[in-house]
Amino acid sequence: MRYGSAPRLKKDLITLGIVSVAYLAASAFVSNSYYQLIMTLVPIWALFGVSWNILSGYGGQLSFGHASFFGIGAYVVTLALVYWNLTPWFGIPLGMIVAAGAAILIGLPTFRLKGHYFALSMLAYPLAILYFLQYLGFQEMSLPMHRENPAAFLEFTNPHYYTLVGVVLLILGVFVSMLVENSRFGLALLSIRQNELAAEAAGIDTKLWKMRALVVSGMLAAAAGGFYACVLLVVTPDSVFGMLVSAQAVVVTLFGGVASIWGPVIGAAILVPLAESLNAELGNILPGIQGVVYGVAIIAIMLASPDGLFWTIRDKYFIPKPPAPLPRSLAANAPSIAQPAAAGSLLMKVEGLSKTFGGLRAVSGVTFDVRAGEILGIIGPNGAGKTTLFNLLNGVLSANEGTAVLGGQSMLGKKVHAVARMGVGRTFQVVRSFPRLPLLDNVIVGAYGAGFTDTDAIASAAHALERVGLSDQAGTPAGQLTNKQLRLMELARALAGAPRVLLLDETLAGLGRDECDDVLDVLQRLRTEGTTVVIIEHTMHAMMRIADRFVVLDHGRVLASGLPRDVVENRSVIEAYLGKKWAAKQDA
Amino acid sequence: MTDLSRRSTVGLGLAAGAAALSSRRARAQTPSEVKIAMLVPLSGPWARQGILEQMGARLAIEDINAAGGIKSMGGARMKLIEYDTQDSSEKAKDAAQRMVAQEPDLVGGFGCWLSSFTLAATEVTERVSLPWLTLSYSDAITGRGFKHVFQSSPTADKQADELLPMIVELAGRARSGWKPTKFAYIGDNTASSVSFMKSIRGPAAAALGLTLVADEVYTPPLSDATTMIQHIRSTKPDFLGFQSTNVPDDKLLVDKFAEFNLKSDKLPKIGGGGHWAVPELLNVAGAENLEGILVALANWPGKRQADLEKRFMAKTGEPWFGHDSIFAYVHVMILKEALERTGVADRVKVSEAIHALDMTDGPALFFPDGTLKYDEKGRRVGAKLCVVQWRKGKPVPVYPPSIATSEVIWPKI
Repeated sequence: MRYGSAPRLKKDLITLGIVSVAYLAASAFVSNSYYQLIMTLVPIWALFGVSWNILSGYGGQLSFGHASFFGIGAYVVTLALVYWNLTPWFGIPLGMIVAAGAAILIGLPTFRLKGHYFALSMLAYPLAILYFLQYLGFQEMSLPMHRENPAAFLEFTNPHYYTLVGVVLLILGVFVSMLVENSRFGLALLSIRQNELAAEAAGIDTKLWKMRALVVSGMLAAAAGGFYACVLLVVTPDSVFGMLVSAQAVVVTLFGGVASIWGPVIGAAILVPLAESLNAELGNILPGIQGVVYGVAIIAIMLASPDGLFWTIRDKYFIPKPPAPLPRSLAANAPSIAQPAAAGSLLMKVEGLSKTFGGLRAVSGVTFDVRAGEILGIIGPNGAGKTTLFNLLNGVLSANEGTAVLGGQSMLGKKVHAVARMGVGRTFQVVRSFPRLPLLDNVIVGAYGAGFTDTDAIASAAHALERVGLSDQAGTPAGQLTNKQLRLMELARALAGAPRVLLLDETLAGLGRDECDDVLDVLQRLRTEGTTVVIIEHTMHAMMRIADRFVVLDHGRVLASGLPRDVVENRSVIEAYLGKKWAAKQDA
Repeated sequence: MTDLSRRSTVGLGLAAGAAALSSRRARAQTPSEVKIAMLVPLSGPWARQGILEQMGARLAIEDINAAGGIKSMGGARMKLIEYDTQDSSEKAKDAAQRMVAQEPDLVGGFGCWLSSFTLAATEVTERVSLPWLTLSYSDAITGRGFKHVFQSSPTADKQADELLPMIVELAGRARSGWKPTKFAYIGDNTASSVSFMKSIRGPAAAALGLTLVADEVYTPPLSDATTMIQHIRSTKPDFLGFQSTNVPDDKLLVDKFAEFNLKSDKLPKIGGGGHWAVPELLNVAGAENLEGILVALANWPGKRQADLEKRFMAKTGEPWFGHDSIFAYVHVMILKEALERTGVADRVKVSEAIHALDMTDGPALFFPDGTLKYDEKGRRVGAKLCVVQWRKGKPVPVYPPSIATSEVIWPKI
């Protein structure tokens, strides 16, 4: 569980209990079977929204084709009932299993795509399945009626029971969503959503977590679809695989609040009755007008509250209490690296590393060593290939030639998160934070990435915050931090994974002189604690203060390396930085 | 202008007051009201068919109430409650759900024209034991073991089985014993056409001495029929069957055959389904190209309803009284007949009464075969195809003789 999740979970569970009981009590008073049907549809669409929210809300992987899983659930229930006389009580779980399989099949190729491309490809699956089912002749499947023992086939003469089943399914779905949100699963998804590269660099296997999210999400959607079939009685491909079905999941969630447990529930509770009553009241008077009114209502509310009702209401009326500072004892149990390398021993060896982009040799035959406990400064003018070098070392780019070995293991040819797992911490030239998450969660992502258990991860993150001096801000969302604090946060995130070596990319960029000094102090302190650092920087005076050795890059090549004093007096370094004229002046 | 509008406003107010008074008086005179429902497409692509049903049903209600309502219930008036299926089967089912919830005292109903809609809606009506009459063709509607659904048309399978023997009979009657031997078909690949063609291609044709010499299939909407018609022409069939499913495709086919100089005086043609006999087809295809085309349908008002047809046309402004409208009319009449027999507004008793009907008069006369009896599945016993033929821009009933106002014309080629 995430830090501080226990009280939140408890509060949410109590709310869930109260809301469910109140809803069921209200439904008991509804005697009109049509209104009862609406009360059954609300939890179904809410559950579908909850399922979409796991992948697309928390994980940020926008899916416009969630009807695939909804429809699979519906069709498995229907076909199993028609051909095997299998009761929907088993049909729904079976549908969930089939949907899990489908999620893997869909995820494997589709997660190769990102952003809009992912969203668009997801859109294609339900459409393809729709035509396939039509081709197979399943245009219209009616669920056979059972006059004897109807309850065994999820058929009730009393419509209240349908509402009950719907609510129970929704409770299960919301509970799964709570577990996800409050565990490392949710944190991994949130970090992927906010910055996939940062999550990957912190050691999160983004592809695996995305796949897990798709499977869980697909199973919940199938449960919603399977039960929907029982309520629908006649299943057509359009009614469960259609564009509007996918849109329903997106609409209820965006309307209610993305990446919150309650968002889809709120959205469905408002929109489903609204749409149905518009249909009932206006549809007969002016056919089609209900769609217009519905659309206008959605646009108006989205304009007033773009993040969804839940967040707007929460930000307005329930201002979250400032978080309590972290207890000091938390940091004491932080885990450390298993076998720290002896100071001065060879930790990392890079030989002949090269990378070309077309005709441009961005990094060319770069060779250097990193010794345990030192701060190695990588300097060079803009465009020298410093960041490219880091990207090669932590797996963002793949090298054309050369080797890079950390403690006897090759760093090349691995995914970013796998390199992170080897003990390579990384920060970025432009800070990559998770702005909505509190500082502590931003840092914990790094600890999860290193594979720590929940308690170890919290302790390690607390310890890392202490080391960079941000313990007091642990509860502040990253979006509210200053630039310096963000730099230190990134440093802490890298430290939280107890790395063997830290790759810092222009940690001082954009900082004022005083801020610079503060960060340098932190780095000094880290060195005395035995942390190995490779840092890119081009402010020479700062580097002179902290670096033990320099490697100078220019046009992708190593120009010079050695002790700082020797390097800055090197003629070719002066030429590279200041030009030939300056070098000539020096000589004279 | 203002004066005029003020005067008309006053007039309207007076009229409204008078209407209110008279309706109060009417309510005082009649003891009660019996509600039946109509659930048909009133919006969306099938709205036109639904509106044709609506016209027929409203006329029937007027006729019943003008004749004194339901006599066994002390002259109770019949009231039609109208619901719209809109454009999809979920919406049709949704409307059915709304209908049974909002109108708990319904005693029966009819609809929904399109088989898919009827299939969906009857899942709801059956669960509340509401007797439901339908003109839809699909066999599935009465193949689910339902107790309260009544199908007045011959089912799709039955129509397919009946069609070829009927055509042979018609040709023989028109040309004194002559028998066609070669025929061609052109149709789309929608589900109902595929199932229909399975039966046409089966052994029944051979048993009649018929050979299917051309069998053309296209995916709707049809864009060009040239190559298919060239092939059909080269095989020289004695007649041609259409299995298209919408008016635009019908029009394109008719135009193309005319272009190839294969109007019905050169190649007799028979189309299937209500869309082959609607005013819209006349508007787009023209009387000349339609001339002589035969259309097989599940019902058509014939010579027995000449008077009713006149009243219908006068009231609605429609050019003729057709398939959809007469079905709605007769369904209201059947519900009325069942209510007369039960004497109480109880839907289960009404359903039982419809099951028990066995008539050759009254509402039975609105069917071409003149019988009214449903079997245990709810299918009308004796339901048979009838045929109309386009003559000078109007479909004229030519078969069976009970409704025919004219003899079928079959050209000598």
